[in-house]
Amino acid sequence: MPDEPSGRNLDGDAPVAESVVETESATITDDAELERTIGLTGGLAIGVGTMIGAGIFVFPGLAGGEIGTAAAASFAVGGVIALLVALPTSELATAMPRSGGGYYFISRGLGTLAGTVIGLSLWLGLVFATAFYLVGLGYYALDALAQVGLAVGAGSDAVVSVIAVLAGLAFTVLNVTGTENAAKLQNGIVALLLSMLVAFLGFGLLEAFGLVAVDTPPGQAANVWGAGPVLSVAALVFTSYLGFAQVATVAGEMKDPGRNLPLAMVGSVVTVTVLYVLAIFVATNIFTRDALLSAGETAMVEVGRALLGPAGALVIIVGGLLATMSSANASILSTSRAIYGVSKDALLPRRASRINLRYGTPHVALGMAGGPVVVLAATGQVQLLAEVASFLHLIMYGLMCVALVAIRRDRPAWYDPDFVVPGGSVVPVLGALASFGLIAFMDRLSIIVGIAVIAATAGWYFYYARDVSLKGAL
Amino acid sequence: MTRVLVPVAVLEGGSVSPGLISLLGAVDVTVLGYHVLPEQTPPDQARLRFEERATSALEDVSQEFAAAGGAADHRLVFTHDREQTIRRVAGEVDADAFAVPGTTGDVDRILVSLSGDVDADRILSFVEALVGDRDVGVTLFLAAGAGMVGDGAADAAASERPVPTGAGDGADARLAAAADRLREAGLDVDAATAAEGSPFDALIDAVPGHDAVVMGERAPSFRSFVFGEESERVAAASVGPVLVVRDRRADDESDEDVASAADDTAPAADE
Repeated sequence: MPDEPSGRNLDGDAPVAESVVETESATITDDAELERTIGLTGGLAIGVGTMIGAGIFVFPGLAGGEIGTAAAASFAVGGVIALLVALPTSELATAMPRSGGGYYFISRGLGTLAGTVIGLSLWLGLVFATAFYLVGLGYYALDALAQVGLAVGAGSDAVVSVIAVLAGLAFTVLNVTGTENAAKLQNGIVALLLSMLVAFLGFGLLEAFGLVAVDTPPGQAANVWGAGPVLSVAALVFTSYLGFAQVATVAGEMKDPGRNLPLAMVGSVVTVTVLYVLAIFVATNIFTRDALLSAGETAMVEVGRALLGPAGALVIIVGGLLATMSSANASILSTSRAIYGVSKDALLPRRASRINLRYGTPHVALGMAGGPVVVLAATGQVQLLAEVASFLHLIMYGLMCVALVAIRRDRPAWYDPDFVVPGGSVVPVLGALASFGLIAFMDRLSIIVGIAVIAATAGWYFYYARDVSLKGAL
Repeated sequence: MTRVLVPVAVLEGGSVSPGLISLLGAVDVTVLGYHVLPEQTPPDQARLRFEERATSALEDVSQEFAAAGGAADHRLVFTHDREQTIRRVAGEVDADAFAVPGTTGDVDRILVSLSGDVDADRILSFVEALVGDRDVGVTLFLAAGAGMVGDGAADAAASERPVPTGAGDGADARLAAAADRLREAGLDVDAATAAEGSPFDALIDAVPGHDAVVMGERAPSFRSFVFGEESERVAAASVGPVLVVRDRRADDESDEDVASAADDTAPAADE
C-alpha cells in the first residue's frame, strides 16, 4: 500500500504530501513548525459550544411537542449513538491529528471516492447545520424583540428569515475581516451558558420533584412512548450532537492531542447529553405536548417564564441568542477547515484554500461556507435543515466507524493511536449500524435532499478527482 | 555557549536593528521567525502559502547575525499564540535569553535591571557572555523596595523598615557585590539605585543614555495579565531592544519532573 498520496486532478494538481513529525506542542515539517494552541478547555468549548445551542434552545419545543416526555429518551438515544461514534473518532484522531477531521480519516481508511463524498458532505452538512442554527437565532431574536415590546404579528416567518440571513452575512464578514481572538470569547460564552443552564435546570428539577411549586398550565395530551416515535424524534434532534466531530476538524491544532482529543470529544458528548435530557424532562414536566407544540422553537422561553417569571424568560432569551450564535460561529470555523483539508488533497481546486493577504484569513473557504448558509437560512425550514445536516453527518459517522475497522485491519505502518477503543470491533460496528439505522427514521424529504447531495459529491469525484489516490497514505 | 532567541514577525516586515545584531555578535543566536494567524486560518494552510517567502526572509536575517560573529540558525513557526511559541522554542533550543527587538544604533552602554524576584546570578553570567571583551559599558540598576532574589535578609529588612532608604541598604550591598563580580570579569560597570516610585517607572527613567536593556524573566502575575508582559512594556517605553534572561530556577530544581509537569500544565495553559 502506498504511504504517499498520488495522482492528479482535472487541474493537474497533486495532493500536497510531506513527512511531518507530531509532538505534543507542535507539528514539525521540513522547514517550519505549526504550533498547537488549543487546549482541553478550548476543545471542550468547541464541542459543547457547537452542540448546546440546538439541543437546549431549539429542539425541546419541537421534540417535546411531538412526543412529550418520551423526547428525553430520544435525546438519550442520540447521546448513546454520538458516544458510539465519538470513541472510534477519538482513536482515529489521535492516530491522525490533522486538520479536516472525519474527511481525513475516511479518505485514508476507505479511499478517495468515500473521502471526496464525505469531505464535500462534511462541508455541506456544516452549511446546513449553520443555516439551522441561524434560523434558531432568528426565532430567539424575534422573541427578544417581542420582549422589548416590538411584537411582530403577521409575517413573523419572514422576519425570522431576514434576521437569519443578516446574521449569516455578518458572521461571514466578521470571519473574513476579523483578527480578534474570538476563541477566548467562545470559552467565556460556553462557561456562562453552562452555569446559567445548571442553575435553571436545577430549579426546574426542584419543581419537578415537588420541592418548589409553580403554576403549571393544564393540558391533556399524553406522552407518546413507543420505539418508532422516539427514534424518529431522535433522528430529528441528532443535529444537537454534531459538535464533537468539529473538535476533530481542529485536531491539528490541539495541544497534546493523544490526551485532549478523546477527552474533549467524549467529554462534550456526555456533558450535553446530560443537559439535554434534563432540559427535556423539565420542559415536558411543566408543559404538556400541545402547549410545547404551540410555543414552537422558542418553547424554552415559556418554560423559563413559567418557572422564574419574566426574569426566567429573559435568561433563556439571552442564553438562546448566545448559544445559537456560538454554534453558528463555531460551525463556520470548522467549515473552512473542512474545505482546506479537501483542497489540500487536490479534491477541490487549490484556489479554495487561498489566504487573504490583508487579513490572513481563508476568504474563499469562508465564502464557500457563508454563501450557501445565507441561501439556506433564507428558507427558514428548521426541521428540513436540521435533518439534512444530521443525514450528512450520520453518513460520515457511520463511515468513520467503518474506516476504523478497515484501518485496523490494514494496519499501515504509521498507525499508532494513543487512544484505543476497547472491545475490538464491537463499538465501531455498533456505531456504524446505529448511525446508518437512524437515517431510516428521518423524514422522506430530508432523505431525498441528503441523497441528492451525496450523489452530487460522488459526481464531482468522477468529474474532477478520479485519478487521485489517498488510501493508506498519512 | 550562551544562546539568545530573537523572535521576528517575519511576514509582517519585522526586522532586527543593526545595533541588536552587533550587540549579539559574541553569542549564538536562534532567529525565530513566527507568523501569527487569526483562528479562522489553519496554520498548515498558511504554511503552504507563505513558507517559501518566510524562509527566504529568515535566511537573510540569520546571515546578518552570522556575519556579526556568532553562530546563527533559524526556526519558522506558524501559530495562533505568539507567547506560547516563544516559550516553547526558547525551551527547546535551551536559550539563555530571548530578545524583544527594538530599534537602536551602535550599542555603547546597556542597562541591566536586577529588580524584583529574578535570577540575578544567571543575569550576571549572561551579561558577561554578552559583552565579552568588547567595549560596552554596563549600568546595573536596582529599584529599592523591590528587593533582590534569594536575599531573605534584604526582604526582611524591607518589611521591618518600610522607609525606602532603609530598604536600600541591603540592596546597595547586593548591587555592589554584583558590580564587583562584573568588574572582575573586566567590564566597565556603573551602579544605580532608584529609591522611589514603581520599579517599572524607575527603570524607564533610567533608560536614557543606554542603548539596550537586560532584565530577568518574571513569573506571570496579575499585573502582567492586565498590562501585558513587563518586558514588552519596557521595550515599548524605552524604544530600544530588551533582552530577557530566562528564569530556569524551576527547571533546575525539578529536572526529573519536567516531562510530567509539561503534561500537567498543558491543558491549563490556554486559559
